[in-house]
Amino acid sequence: MHAWANIGKTKSVSGTLAIIFLIAALLLNAGLLVVVNYGNFFESLKEELLPADAYYCMSDILYTEEVKSYLDGNEHVQKVQAHDVRWLSTQIIYQGKEQSFAVLFNDMDEPREMCKWKIVENGSSNGRGAMPGVKDAPMPVYVPDIFKAVGGYQLGDPIELKYTEAQTGGEKTLAFTVQGYTEDIFFSSIDVGFVSFYLPGETYQEVADILNDPLYKAHVVFTNVDDINNVAVIEGGIQEILGLNSASLVAVDFSALFAAVDLSLIEMARCMMANMVAAMMVVFALVLVVVCLLVVRFRIVNSLEEDVVNIGSLKSMGYTSQQIILSVILQFCLIAGAGSLAGIALSYPALPAVSMVFEQQSGLKWEQGFDGGVSSAAFLAIELIVVSVAWLSARHIGKLSPVSALRMETSARKYSRNYLPLEGAASVASESRLPMLLALKSVVHNMKQTVMIVTILIAVTFVGAYGVIMYYNTSVDTKAFAEVPGMEICNAIAMLNPGLDQTQAVQAIEGMDAVRKGQYLDEVKLRVEGTDVAAVVMETYAGKESMLVYEGRYPLSDHEIVLAGILAERLHKTVGDTVAVGFGDQEEVFNVVGLSNGSSMGGLNTSILTRDFLRFNPDFKHQSLYIYLAKGTDAAGFIEDLETVFKDRFEDQADQKMLLGTVNFDKELASGMASYQSIVAAMGLVMLVITGCVVALVLYFVISSSVIRKRRELGIQKAIGFTTFQLMNQISIGFMLPIFVGAAVGSVLGAYYTNPLMSVVMRGMGVMKAGFIVDPYWVVAFGAATVVASYLLSLLISWRIRKISAYALVAE
Amino acid sequence: MDKRDVILATDKLCKSFTAGAQEQQVLKNLDIEIYENEFTVIMGSSGAGKSTLLYALSGMDKPTGGAVRFFGADIAGLSHDKLAVFRRQNCGFIFQHMFLLDNMSILDNILAGGLLIRGDKKAIVAEAKELLGKVGLTETIWRKFPAQLSGGENQRAAIVRALINKPRVVFADEPTGSLNSAAGQAVLDVLTDVNKGGQNIVMVTHDLKSARRGNRILYIRDGVMCGECDLGKYVSGDQARHDKLRVFLSEMGW
Repeated sequence: MHAWANIGKTKSVSGTLAIIFLIAALLLNAGLLVVVNYGNFFESLKEELLPADAYYCMSDILYTEEVKSYLDGNEHVQKVQAHDVRWLSTQIIYQGKEQSFAVLFNDMDEPREMCKWKIVENGSSNGRGAMPGVKDAPMPVYVPDIFKAVGGYQLGDPIELKYTEAQTGGEKTLAFTVQGYTEDIFFSSIDVGFVSFYLPGETYQEVADILNDPLYKAHVVFTNVDDINNVAVIEGGIQEILGLNSASLVAVDFSALFAAVDLSLIEMARCMMANMVAAMMVVFALVLVVVCLLVVRFRIVNSLEEDVVNIGSLKSMGYTSQQIILSVILQFCLIAGAGSLAGIALSYPALPAVSMVFEQQSGLKWEQGFDGGVSSAAFLAIELIVVSVAWLSARHIGKLSPVSALRMETSARKYSRNYLPLEGAASVASESRLPMLLALKSVVHNMKQTVMIVTILIAVTFVGAYGVIMYYNTSVDTKAFAEVPGMEICNAIAMLNPGLDQTQAVQAIEGMDAVRKGQYLDEVKLRVEGTDVAAVVMETYAGKESMLVYEGRYPLSDHEIVLAGILAERLHKTVGDTVAVGFGDQEEVFNVVGLSNGSSMGGLNTSILTRDFLRFNPDFKHQSLYIYLAKGTDAAGFIEDLETVFKDRFEDQADQKMLLGTVNFDKELASGMASYQSIVAAMGLVMLVITGCVVALVLYFVISSSVIRKRRELGIQKAIGFTTFQLMNQISIGFMLPIFVGAAVGSVLGAYYTNPLMSVVMRGMGVMKAGFIVDPYWVVAFGAATVVASYLLSLLISWRIRKISAYALVAE
Repeated sequence: MDKRDVILATDKLCKSFTAGAQEQQVLKNLDIEIYENEFTVIMGSSGAGKSTLLYALSGMDKPTGGAVRFFGADIAGLSHDKLAVFRRQNCGFIFQHMFLLDNMSILDNILAGGLLIRGDKKAIVAEAKELLGKVGLTETIWRKFPAQLSGGENQRAAIVRALINKPRVVFADEPTGSLNSAAGQAVLDVLTDVNKGGQNIVMVTHDLKSARRGNRILYIRDGVMCGECDLGKYVSGDQARHDKLRVFLSEMGW
């Protein structure tokens, strides 16, 4: 009863506290549900769709009898299933703009034992044929669900695929009608490998007839292997048979298609973002829970001061200390319980939005039902912590005698030292400065409250600064974010024919007006300490623009190697150690001179000099020329110019083509990173918004409590002639100092610790030492905005003191 | 009666309070005048409206009807902030429960009010110390907090706070109500001395001994002025003064 009465008496502060608990519980429950259930969801999807351990996708011209025999007879391969497909490097309108896709066309009538797929939404009642209400829908196609969730395609919509015809070089279009949406493990998302379009048999045949050039004919070969690490071994074997030295997926549109993607890479790509977001939600929720607890403690201490006479009355009536403490604990349990229950309940309708965010990147539709276990755990954890804090804060009621309580001796006796005496400051205490002086006295006298506000502001501005930094890196200057996968960032790549002398071609490219520079960068396969790894090969690393090495340096001399952080940890090697590097039957000892970020091949990647690799493979020739364009140059326009130059100057000089293909790196990067960027940007914004809300709520709570607690003091000041504005200023300035200190410290900590935090969170992505850009102006602007907004907010909230009249004080 | 300067006057002053659906009229068309250099005492039974009148006169509360004229200017219509400025410039307050700021030392309590007024700040500090000395509070006491002092010491400090701005009128609401007899007498001595120094005092009390210190007694009942008694021609402490007051109060049915 006493607990209910107290809640009723302080409705606004109790309500505010309940809202803070609501936000914390919402984030905590949602975060826990993702952490606990998203991984399980992927596992159950694997059980349902039986994905292969890996797929190798290769043009029919590469899928030779020799390769088939190699796969069938390989000791590591347990099961193989090959499917005839058509593939196309194409442009599709996606999210309202044209984007590049590597599309595999599959015959949906062909039975599959491995790597099944499913229709998640079907526009046709019989799963086939015409759309209901739409007679003779032309060219029906089943597209990945991401085309609906992100791409903006609805059932019955036309979908056009633009491509360059292989033989004529003319622009062609394949037009389909969206018949339904599909989901599978490997081909549902646009960030790794291909997307699969599933066509009814007759439609597939029609497409096969249109795409009948050998360049479009391909096989996707699903394989189960004895050990997932052997996927790369098998890939190396195929490459050795085919004589390929690069299998870069970004170069999907040059003639000979070869790509290998394993399940672990897909699993990392599909779950990594969810895990990262979930980890951040939980951490943010825990920060909020800590904020709640500080606020609970503050509120209890305040309410004990306010209610000390009531406590004295209750004690004099015979209530035991334990009963009174229990009523305090019950009061806050009820508030926390109401807020938490509402937050947990709201987290369920909020989860589809979270799921949609994940779907943007994974292409998988995660549907989360009610999970009593997780939600009960979240609720009980919050309640348990509240009970502990409430008990710790209220336990000294036991030591309070009824007489002391009735004499209000809890608050009156605590002042013993007069900080900042007005006598000393009299000479500067003008009418306008006096409230400032009194505010400073209040800051010192209420040191516990000051420390609490500082701590809360440090916590929330740290999170806010983190949000600002992540938003900046995903929306303003995206270079550091783009480097996360460990790629060298250029503007375009020219795939040159390794069988020809490229000297003049390279000179011609470098001589083009828009070109700032060009440099070779290829990826090969090596063995390091017996582990198959990817290796970046460059003639020199001096011109590299994405500096991924976080410890040591890039190779300068022979026998020097940089290991990716994940690989170094796996091999227990660091800078200064030596490693055995092998290729085929050869093996040499290399010095580890640097450690780098990067998730290529699951973090099993390295960097060496070309001359080192030439010792292993004297036939090796570079073929990927990374081209860096002058600022503001449009990569698509440049590629057109480049193709014209090659057609004019080189094509007629040899039987073979010099320019095998081009990659618009800017475009590939933008579309590849778009989903990650939008998720992290959204997360940064959400964190900023929540930070703003929490700061507002906490300020409202603290100032409201403070006004209630100080109404006597404020009434006296009004009686002796202080105006409402002077008192508002006094209150606001009193809060400004701790807010300023908290915001400053929180922002600085955010600036310094965002990268270490991201290093922990993104370790799974191979980012051992994150290097996100921390723009000091943005962080300072954020801190300043927090302080200014807090000041204005505190003025607004303290406006309520106009209601405290001097007469009311006397009347009380 | 001699022609005296009116410092405060009310004109059909009304004040009512609403409790739920019920409205209670505490002051009913009250017309009174307060004169310069007087120690005016407002008396009446409990609930008569004494304190309500005091706070309406001092601008601490707004009347619901009528006017309050301070040197002829109506203050009833002023905004809350203008009333705050009015109070700091013209009024000093002494409350039954002192209402000192318990997080400030005694000296700071006085300066918190004093420094609101424009002027030589160092002179204000000196003035505060002088006044504290006059009411018998030593330097050791200035540095202490209200909770560390006795009720009498606190009330004397409150008197200094009321006087620090050199107000035109000091309003005292039952200033001895929470003090023991000796402390109460000491506080009344201080107020009497202050009045003798030319300070206008308006005091609400229901204590006969306290009322005797005044030179003009106003008696109100149920929000209406019932009568007044002029004790100005009697010497303070004179038995005749005491008798006159007793008779007056008896007539008022006190």
